[in-house]
Amino acid sequence: MQNILLFSILGLASGAIIATIAIGVVLSWRGSGTINIAAGAVVMVAGYIFWCLRTGYFAPALMMVPAVLLTLVLMALLAVVVEVVAVKPLRTASPLARLVASIGVLLLFQAAVQLVFGTAPVDSPAVLSAEVVEVVGVTVPIAHFILAGVVVVLALALSMLYRFTRFGLATRAASENERSAILAGLSPDSLSLANSVIAYVVAGLVGVLAASVVGVSASTLPLLIVPALAAALLANFTSFGIACAAGLAIGIGESLLFYASTQSWFPTQDGFALPGMQQVAEFFLIVIALWWRGSSLPQRGETAGRSLPPVPRQERLVRRAAPVVLACAVALVVLPSDFRQAVTTGLVATVLCLSFVVIMGYVGQLSVVQLALAGLGAFTVSRLGTEFGIGFPLGPIIAIALATVLGVAIGAAALRVRGITLVVVTLAAAIAIEQFVFANARWGGGQTGAPVESPTLFGVNLGADASFPGLNGTLPSPLFGLLALVGTVVLYAFVANLRRGDLGRRMLAVRSNERAAAAVGVNVRAVKIVAFGIASALAGTAGVMYAYNYSTVSAGSYGIAIALTLVASVYVLGVTLVQGAVLAGFGAIGAVVPLILQKWVLPQDQISIWVQLIIGVGLLVQLKLFPDGLLVGMELKKERRAEHKAQSEPSVVSPRVEEGVPA
Amino acid sequence: MIQPVLDARGISVHYGGVTALDEVDIAVGPGQVVGLIGPNGAGKTTFIDALTGFVRHEGTVRLDGVDLKRKRPHARVQAGLGRTWQAVDLFDDLSVAENIAVAAHRPTLVSTLRELLGATLPQSAAVASSLEALDIAHLAEARPRELAEGQRKLVGIARSLAAAPKVLCLDEPAAGLDTDESAVLGQQLRRLADDGQSMLLIDHDISFVFGTCDHVVVLEFGKVIAAGLPGDVKNDPRVIAAYLGTAAASISGERS
Ligand SMILES: Nc1ncnc2c1ncn2[C@@H]1O[C@H](COP(=O)(O)OP(=O)(O)OP(=O)(O)O)[C@@H](O)[C@H]1O
Ligand SMILES: [Mg+2]
Repeated sequence: MQNILLFSILGLASGAIIATIAIGVVLSWRGSGTINIAAGAVVMVAGYIFWCLRTGYFAPALMMVPAVLLTLVLMALLAVVVEVVAVKPLRTASPLARLVASIGVLLLFQAAVQLVFGTAPVDSPAVLSAEVVEVVGVTVPIAHFILAGVVVVLALALSMLYRFTRFGLATRAASENERSAILAGLSPDSLSLANSVIAYVVAGLVGVLAASVVGVSASTLPLLIVPALAAALLANFTSFGIACAAGLAIGIGESLLFYASTQSWFPTQDGFALPGMQQVAEFFLIVIALWWRGSSLPQRGETAGRSLPPVPRQERLVRRAAPVVLACAVALVVLPSDFRQAVTTGLVATVLCLSFVVIMGYVGQLSVVQLALAGLGAFTVSRLGTEFGIGFPLGPIIAIALATVLGVAIGAAALRVRGITLVVVTLAAAIAIEQFVFANARWGGGQTGAPVESPTLFGVNLGADASFPGLNGTLPSPLFGLLALVGTVVLYAFVANLRRGDLGRRMLAVRSNERAAAAVGVNVRAVKIVAFGIASALAGTAGVMYAYNYSTVSAGSYGIAIALTLVASVYVLGVTLVQGAVLAGFGAIGAVVPLILQKWVLPQDQISIWVQLIIGVGLLVQLKLFPDGLLVGMELKKERRAEHKAQSEPSVVSPRVEEGVPA
Repeated sequence: MIQPVLDARGISVHYGGVTALDEVDIAVGPGQVVGLIGPNGAGKTTFIDALTGFVRHEGTVRLDGVDLKRKRPHARVQAGLGRTWQAVDLFDDLSVAENIAVAAHRPTLVSTLRELLGATLPQSAAVASSLEALDIAHLAEARPRELAEGQRKLVGIARSLAAAPKVLCLDEPAAGLDTDESAVLGQQLRRLADDGQSMLLIDHDISFVFGTCDHVVVLEFGKVIAAGLPGDVKNDPRVIAAYLGTAAASISGERS
């Protein structure tokens, strides 16, 4: 009993941070109507800024109070910068573009911090009192109570601010109906800015206070966005009080779960508590919150003004793709080993990116779980081969089927949400899979990675170590690369073709307007489920190809930062076009573009962090120029120009001329 | 009246504490065009929303004797209840013909699987015929954003028609059309009705409704205040007081 109390109190610290991030999410939602995925990274940045100021990392060390104050000022400045760069220019863009921008901010913050300070967590000097108190027989640091108290006070103060001041009422009015707010003389830009500054300062204050209690880490703090999103969902993205209470409760719950994992009845494996239970619990919490809060079709008014990047027609694909395919085939044979590897990886990543084209481009649902599903497919192939002796082709089939089933299950769990809100579920799912499956010593790869047997068919080796005339002994085999090329081309054609067919039309109808689609007899849920199935199968296929490509599977390749980087790059290049997937694929970690950067441009190590940084920056720049994505924007310009030309000639679309007018 | 195609009884809808519809009964017979009129906010759109399952409602909706109560919107549409929207919602990324094809094709598990395996499904004849029915065949390849408001309306109607509905519910199809256009639309709708298409027609353009419909129902504050032949309803003192007298002026002002 005492232990339960002790762990509950210890959970207050991380609960306070989760609550703060949840409050930050609510503030951004109210201020600019977008889900701020970067809210956790903001707390991390505050922690690092304070740590620099206090330890004298750049300049002479400051005393505590000036350091805290300066941190808050810098956070306010940062809020202004982010607002000007990543929020304001996208005011009229689609919510998807705005959400992707917040992913860009997250990637940028995380990569920048990791490049400057390294990936290991830093110990921040204590701010809060180190004293302990005794509560009903257990001794606990007083800092935990102060931290929780500060967050509660902040939540109450914000509630007051929004309920009773003119500013708060204006924000509420604008978040309910932006157009009428503009008519009433309120500027959405300045409201958004003010809310953002408040969010950053609040996050900064708690980040500073909590830094010494929970430690500052660039890899874990940004991910606290997941439990924070659960709390924000429970609060319907509006109530500070509920967000705060739910955040604290989640922190306490997780601490108790940790305590439970030390108990004998907790499920164990090889003598250790099963990992990832906390992330699995978070996922289910989010699913429950969504079922409770969501509704299955958008209500009247909710649909207005929500546009996604347009889907240009895809014409003359064969003529456009043929030179690329030919170039890849030649490259796979003549280039040196590392480039052959990079081309193959680019092909595999293209397949993965095609899954984003289906689910995000065609159906408008933002899902980030595909890389995790790919990882699942890859590990399954490895395990089936090494433990059960099931090889090619049955192993891959089972692996792809498994990824598909899991993907469909996640999609089904998320049926009550749509569009950008889906990111919440899929983010939680990706992290749960990462922690529950990949980090599991028996199912995942552990530190060393799981070995994969090469695929053979009728005794012929088809894998990366297959023989190839003239190139025997140098990995990877062009044979495998060429097979990957064939597979990629087939799937590319499949996805491109999908858009033209019956199913593709229904997907675009659902994307455009769920209610209108239902009103012409489209089963919206079925379409979404099928789309999830296709996307997951593509992801699973990519996973299998990854496994065979590297002959080993390691959890590090399927992490959430890489997944978000991929999503972001597909979006900026053109998520509604199959060509966008190809570009993004060849820009993915391990593929051609990063290899070139690594070889001749960037420092050799930490290439994935550099790529993350580049994509983060590129994303924000790109969203300003082509908010719908590079290729989509160019394609649309072309279409418009063609239309203009058509309009100068007599148009087919001009209004009809009626003969006699009836009485 | 012979057995109605659509028989809606005791339809009530509540939005929070507000009663938007109160025990409304409306029946539509085969080949009949029933007009539904009433001032702004009377609950006309809400009635169609209830019929097609987009809002929670009390009462029963029967289509050819089949109870639709438990069906979700798309299933009600598939059962034969078509509708258009007050603000036309065309699918922006699809051409006009593709918009209509979405409604015309009824996918089955088999057809979807065949398609996933690469088969190209034949274009339904309903696409061409519904474009023909509204004289907009020349728009087939246009994109929605290139269309004028009136044309969008027609495409919206053609799209619902392509699903071969037993009853077609039209929410203000003539709004946004000029006088000539709405006269032509009236003729087209009449022609469809003469071919046996049953319809429920909402509009603010009184002469359009009275000129097109066989039977008119008047709603006010969610209640039916009059129903009958156009000629009788037109002269009903309650209707004149509630609707024609007070609202007509502002409506005709809106329309100019
Ligand atoms: N989603 C909703 N939530 C709450 N109230 C609603 C909702 N939709 C409609 N109402 C209310 O229900 C009543 C009926 O609205 P409805 O749109 O059905 O009227 P209408 O007759 O179609 O009007 P109009 O001629 O303006 O189209 C109105 O008072 C409206 O304010
Ligand atoms: Mg209406």
